[in-house]
Amino acid sequence: MGTPTTKSDYMLLFRGTDWDEGLSPEQLQQVMSNWGNWFQGLIDQGKVLSGHPLTNEGKIVSGKKGRTVADGPFAESKEAIGGYFYLQVLDLDEAVAIAQQCPGLDYGIQVEVRVVAERCAMMERAQEAAAQAQQLAGTPA
Amino acid sequence: MSSTTPASEYIFLFRGVHWDKGLSPEQLQHVMGQLVGWFDALHQQGKVKSGHPLGDESTTVEGRRGRMIADGPFVESKEAVGGYLVVQAKDLEDAVAIARSCPNLDYGTSIEVRPLLEECPVFRRAKEILASAA
Repeated sequence: MGTPTTKSDYMLLFRGTDWDEGLSPEQLQQVMSNWGNWFQGLIDQGKVLSGHPLTNEGKIVSGKKGRTVADGPFAESKEAIGGYFYLQVLDLDEAVAIAQQCPGLDYGIQVEVRVVAERCAMMERAQEAAAQAQQLAGTPA
Repeated sequence: MSSTTPASEYIFLFRGVHWDKGLSPEQLQHVMGQLVGWFDALHQQGKVKSGHPLGDESTTVEGRRGRMIADGPFVESKEAVGGYLVVQAKDLEDAVAIARSCPNLDYGTSIEVRPLLEECPVFRRAKEILASAA
C-alpha cells in the first residue's frame, strides 16, 4: 500500500476510559483543550494521519463461526482502548516522544505505541512453514 | 446514558492472533487462503476503510509527563491487539455480522467491534456538564 517515504507508520492506542473521574468541569475543559491543540498540531505537522475516539459501546466476537457475541466490558476501565492515533514519523523514538506529550498521561491514561506492519507476522510464518514443507516434499528421498 | 449517534465506521481490534499454533502447513495455507479471500471480498464491497497488522514489538508510555516507558503488552498475551480494520457498516449489528464472518475466529482469534466517534465521549460529557452549569 502506498507510503512512499522513509517514514514509518505507528499507532498510538490510548488505554483507560475512566481518567475523568474526580476531575472538575474546569479541569476537564483544560484537558480537552490541551488534547485538541495537541492533536491539531500533529495533524498540521503531518505527523498524525488520522485519529478517533471510540465509543464505550461495542461487542466482542469470538468462538467458532463467531457464535459468541458479548458486550464489551468497556464502560470504565483502565485497560480498555478509548481511542487511537495513526502516526507517520521517522522512527519509534519519535513515536514515543509524541506519546509522552499526551495530555491524558497526567490523569492515568496509558499510551501503547505499536509499529504498523505491512504484512501479518502470522502469515509470514505460515508461508515460511508452507515453503519449507514444499521443499521437504520435493526433496528426493 | 447519552444516546449513541449511529456511527458508520467501526474498528475491529483483533486479539489472540497466534492462530497458527499447532496447525499443519496444509491447514495454515488453507486458513491463509480463507483469510485473504475474506479480506478481499470486504475490500471489493467497499467496506474496508483501512487496516493493518501491528508489529510484535510494543512500548507503553505512562505516568506524569510520560516518564515511564516500558516494553509491552506482549503479543502473546490475550489482551494484546495484533491488528485492526476500520470497516464501514450500517450499524453495530451489521458490523458484528461482518466480524462474525472472519475465518480466523475458528482458530482462537477474537474481535472487538467498536464504533468510531468524531468526539471523545468524556469530552462530550464534560461539555454537557459545563453547559448545564452555565
